[in-house]
Amino acid sequence: MVVQLGLVANGYRDPHNYFAFQPFNESSTYAVELVRVLPEGERVAAPNGRWEGYDWDELIGWRALQAPWRQRHAFSGVDAVVDYLDHALDWMADNTPDDTQTLYLEATVTYYRNARGPYATVIRSHDRALGSP
Amino acid sequence: MTSTAPASTTAERRRRWLDEVFDEPASLRTVAIVRIVLGPSVIWHLRPFLADALDGTTYLDVFQQKWWPWVPNAPTGLYVALLWVGVAAAVLMTVGLWSRAATWATLAVVAYNFFLSETHFRHNRAFLIILLAGVALCDNGRVLSLDARRRPPADDRGLVWPVWLLRFEAATVYFASGFSKLIDPDWVGGRVMHDRTLRYEDDARDVLGDTLGDPMLEVLTARAFHWMLSPVAVATELFIAFGIWFRRTRLAAVWVAVAFHLGIEVSAQVEVFSVIAIGALAIWATPSTRDRTLVTPSRWVKRLDWTARFDITVVSGASWRMVDRDGTVLEGRQARRFVRTRLPATFLFSRFWRHP
Repeated sequence: MVVQLGLVANGYRDPHNYFAFQPFNESSTYAVELVRVLPEGERVAAPNGRWEGYDWDELIGWRALQAPWRQRHAFSGVDAVVDYLDHALDWMADNTPDDTQTLYLEATVTYYRNARGPYATVIRSHDRALGSP
Repeated sequence: MTSTAPASTTAERRRRWLDEVFDEPASLRTVAIVRIVLGPSVIWHLRPFLADALDGTTYLDVFQQKWWPWVPNAPTGLYVALLWVGVAAAVLMTVGLWSRAATWATLAVVAYNFFLSETHFRHNRAFLIILLAGVALCDNGRVLSLDARRRPPADDRGLVWPVWLLRFEAATVYFASGFSKLIDPDWVGGRVMHDRTLRYEDDARDVLGDTLGDPMLEVLTARAFHWMLSPVAVATELFIAFGIWFRRTRLAAVWVAVAFHLGIEVSAQVEVFSVIAIGALAIWATPSTRDRTLVTPSRWVKRLDWTARFDITVVSGASWRMVDRDGTVLEGRQARRFVRTRLPATFLFSRFWRHP
């Protein structure tokens, strides 16, 4: 009971409110502009999440983050989605070995929090070790 | 003396309550009902994971965000086998064969799958795990099971402290949800629901058609409508969270809870939440069975008395007569009305029932 009450209280701090039971907490929406940043600093768009034979939707394989370049409902709220996207960028950076050009991935997340906005935040993956695939 | 009397009464009540929770065996029939509901729910919950696996995709092939780095990844073959073990265990759980072991096995598979990746998190899945754990902690095969049929136990009683834990968890779900919305001005003020409704306006129009859709959506998309509806939704959750604890309000809270979950099921995608939440309402029934005697001409009562509220004698041509726990005798229409409020299949409509 103490653990459960602790988790409920933690839900007001944790963007995902795991085990804090706050369903349908926001009506927020978001959209992502995804770019690949090359070592020279050049920024290359990844239209529809596709580049170098990779497909964001196919690799991510999770409905909450599918086609994020369109305006989407923010699953569990904007803060949760931004956190998931942050991890997803790292995961993509680690799982696209045939891409030997991209230093890191960057996503500009434009969001409306409960119909207020737009606001924007920029997140990026960790740097990739470049070399032959 | 007069000043110590209330204190000792309170202490006595507390001691009795603690005995009731931790020491006194009580009927586990309602836990068995939850067990039966959870089995198919688990299969429905595992279905998309199995469907993906049959298509050649598992969590290993897509974005995964570990809860904890020490949770081991199962190789694809073992993972798929575990999902099938979960399905088999859920079937055994439902029919009540090796009930308790099957419940633990089901819990292990569902929890392992859940904790493989944060992307597997959903509130309904978290609640499913909690319910499975609570049911597994009880000797849930003593009744309504093949186990009980093969080796009939002396009675259906066992320790019920996990039931109290489940009650706390279930009430917490309603409270946490309601309270978080109550303190969020956007939610309680109607902004969140209004915005969501606007987003799905076109989808609703497609379903309803123009003739029905236009007048309904004019109301549903009005800001004022959600300004009124949202506080009602919050109050509903909080009423269930608190009302369900008290004998006087429990039946009303259960009634409201069923209506609430049916409303959510129609308006949102919540996977197994509606089914397990309605099934879990069984744990609020008093854990004693056949402690009211009933004489009735109807054979249906026996068939519909799943929670065994009554010790029933069917007498053809007899008039209805029910003796309550406290010795109160109800006859005829009053007895029929009371019985209908206590049968799971009829209580929901009992308030609207015309009693000839």
